[in-house]
Amino acid sequence: MSWREYQNEIIALAALGIMFFAYIYKYNSVSSSTQEAKKIQRTIEEVKEVAALKKIWADKKTDKRVEALHTLVPTDKIKWQKKSKKLTAKYTDLRANELNKLITKVLNLPVRITFLDVTKRGANYNVELKCKW
Amino acid sequence: MNFMTTTKELLLVYPAMKRVLLNENVNVMLTPQFYTLKKEILPMKYAYQAKKIAPSLFDGLLEEGGNYEYMVYKEKDQWVFIAYDSEHIEAFLSSKGVAPAQVSKIFFAEQAVDKFTHPLKLGESEALVVLDGNAVVVPQSALEEGESSFLVFDKRFTPQKGVSLQGASGSILSRKQAFAFGGLFLLFSALFIAEGLRYGGSQSSKEELERLYSDYPALQSSYTREEILHKYRNIDKEERAKRELVKKFSSFIFKGVTLTHLNISGDRYKTEFACVSKSVSQKLEALAKKEHLKTSKIKNSHNLIIEGTL
Repeated sequence: MSWREYQNEIIALAALGIMFFAYIYKYNSVSSSTQEAKKIQRTIEEVKEVAALKKIWADKKTDKRVEALHTLVPTDKIKWQKKSKKLTAKYTDLRANELNKLITKVLNLPVRITFLDVTKRGANYNVELKCKW
Repeated sequence: MNFMTTTKELLLVYPAMKRVLLNENVNVMLTPQFYTLKKEILPMKYAYQAKKIAPSLFDGLLEEGGNYEYMVYKEKDQWVFIAYDSEHIEAFLSSKGVAPAQVSKIFFAEQAVDKFTHPLKLGESEALVVLDGNAVVVPQSALEEGESSFLVFDKRFTPQKGVSLQGASGSILSRKQAFAFGGLFLLFSALFIAEGLRYGGSQSSKEELERLYSDYPALQSSYTREEILHKYRNIDKEERAKRELVKKFSSFIFKGVTLTHLNISGDRYKTEFACVSKSVSQKLEALAKKEHLKTSKIKNSHNLIIEGTL
């Protein structure tokens, strides 16, 4: 038996083999490209998330915005101590509407509330707030 | 291209030849009895063009019923056409002990006319000679006195270009089918490779990432990104939880309910509500439980405490 006897089949099989390897190449190429695209997409999402979170919780304007807590109620009701990026504020004799305004403002500020204490004294409220940013 | 030509023995095949016993594959040279020759001057440049018109050139010259194939090559300014019946050749070779599978290439005596400088003896009565530039078979008796010396035939007579016997084996596929399948498979191969090369990921995503990196160069490192993400995700989660909790407590204040104390320290919280009646207290308790908050009552009062961790 000689290979020449089956040279036609060999030609067809060789071409089939090439096609098979070409398919494997394509499959690997598509697969690695898809993985790379997923990786890029994941990185984009991460970077965007970091940027968005930093924009909220590491905003340089927060320092100024916190000052609003000082002007929200009459100053005689406030003991204000702001140092670096930390605030300790004590409010006394706040009326219900003042309390509402203060709490709403605090909740809308991008600060980390480390301590919040609201105590009713008669008809009014005392509030102690510690926060940082 | 034939790399095997010089390495294989060349067997001269003529009708009066004796039966042979072969141990290896050979090339075969056929004498003019096995083919029909025609030479024409035609205005054609390529052999494939000449091959197309070969059947019409032999109209009426070939025996009917034969399965003829054609070999075409250019000789100086004219085209040489050789018609041969491969089935007939195969049958003859088989009858002489040469299996078609043992035949590597077939050549025609006409291809080696320049090497037949003297007559070549074909059996006892015939000889192969060149007359008017064509290889022909003549009776040895017709040779002139001076032509009594005969050539010794060997593989030096092997021409460059030969033909293969079609179906010279147990092949399932014909040559045409093999090339058709081969062509189709190679076409698919080219398409697969092209498609594979085309995939380079999304260019717009890459550009977007480059833009983000130029805006936030510090975030190019995945380690840095993960560290920052971990830090700010925790802050975000905790602070949102605190705010949600305070909003929930606000929603618990309705007619008959007053907030008397609220304390959030670290991740712990405690709130006390004063209720005017038992029913109000129960309603508040139901609301708190709906929000999955832990409640407890203060003895001898309707007041309710809600406490827990974030």
